[in-house]
Amino acid sequence: MSDITPATVLRKRSDVRYRRVAGEAVVLRQSTAEVLVLNELAGDILDLVDGERSVGGWIERLSGEYAVERPTLERDLLDFAAELMEAGLVEPVEGANAPLEGG
Amino acid sequence: MNPHSMSFADQYLRYPDLFPARVGGEPCGPEALALDLPGGAHLFSGLTAEQRSGVERRFGPLCRPPAPGESGPWTRLFRAPDDDFLVIDTRGWEYALDLDPAPEGVRVAGLNLMARLDWPAAGAGDAGGAAGAVGASLRAGLWTCEDEGELFAPVLENLLRAAYAYRLAAMGGALIHSAGVVFDGRAFLLTGPSGAGKTTAASLCLAQGGSVLSDDLNALRAAPGEGGAAGAFQVEKLPFTGDLGETGTAGGRWPLAAVVRLRKGEADAVRPLTPGAAFAALLASAPIVNRDPYRREPLLATLEEVALTVPAYELTFRLGAGLRSILAALPT
Repeated sequence: MSDITPATVLRKRSDVRYRRVAGEAVVLRQSTAEVLVLNELAGDILDLVDGERSVGGWIERLSGEYAVERPTLERDLLDFAAELMEAGLVEPVEGANAPLEGG
Repeated sequence: MNPHSMSFADQYLRYPDLFPARVGGEPCGPEALALDLPGGAHLFSGLTAEQRSGVERRFGPLCRPPAPGESGPWTRLFRAPDDDFLVIDTRGWEYALDLDPAPEGVRVAGLNLMARLDWPAAGAGDAGGAAGAVGASLRAGLWTCEDEGELFAPVLENLLRAAYAYRLAAMGGALIHSAGVVFDGRAFLLTGPSGAGKTTAASLCLAQGGSVLSDDLNALRAAPGEGGAAGAFQVEKLPFTGDLGETGTAGGRWPLAAVVRLRKGEADAVRPLTPGAAFAALLASAPIVNRDPYRREPLLATLEEVALTVPAYELTFRLGAGLRSILAALPT
């Protein structure tokens, strides 16, 4: 069960680097030399992981760009954030639970 | 044992804190040799006669005395006591060098070896600026306790593989962990993790009338004078072999027709890889440099160009199927 909420602020782990190749995001974990490929949308989301913006901020940002019901988008983004955490690509910023943007 | 849970060199050295801080020490001996590789020779000095003989037996005609005033990447050999190195039971063990990249150079630890790869002309801390100077300016030190020639040659080779990976990357190429096979004048790089079937595929290739450059490490290089054009990459034979050993294929370059990521499966199947997936497959197969954040940028640029211009596929196969006909049918 993930502890991630819309107020959670995530940042990329220090050993994570990624590069866009023909739209896809290729993610390299420096410590293990593991390489993952994310599709363009997932790459767009990874772009939003900046250590300052909350997951709720992702929702605000993307809700205007994709024709998806907001509850569905919120659920999908929380699930994706949990997957990024599980994959060891991101980590929560301690003590940074931001209020929802515009909320 | 999980090497990622340990500190640098802990798995190989008794006293990691005493790792040499600079290239210097007591030479093993007075001998020197040059080892010719694609792109230019790598020079070694400080060897004993026995060590030099061991290297000459391993690399054969690629070895020669250095020419007077010859320049190029240079490695100096230094003596280290036996006690510096941990005794390791290598049965069933997969060997991997331990690397510690830093802005000023790279520390390397391995089986009976300590080494420093320094590029004195490179701008410290400036990954982009260092890239152009990485190749020829290498001044490396190798400390070992291994005097006996047959045992010393693999020590030298393991360091040479790492040094050459950096050199190729700086030259706009890449060292690729792969089986390099050639059918009808077209080269294919078969990649995949250990156990994916690279050596088996290379054996099949030989049995089906093809040539094998190496079943372990191959040089990917831009074709001379054709940089940037589609199909402008070539595969070149290196003296670094895997389980299959030396196959007798003459040295040379072949145009790269496709990158093929191998997967074992119950049935033969081919699917194209997206450029991102091809880039990922190549990056995961580019040892040493892919773990160095200070000197990785030229490698990334090269692999991106390859991924965007060279066809790439994932081949699931049964290890026994007609590899030749499968590769021949790939659109390239």
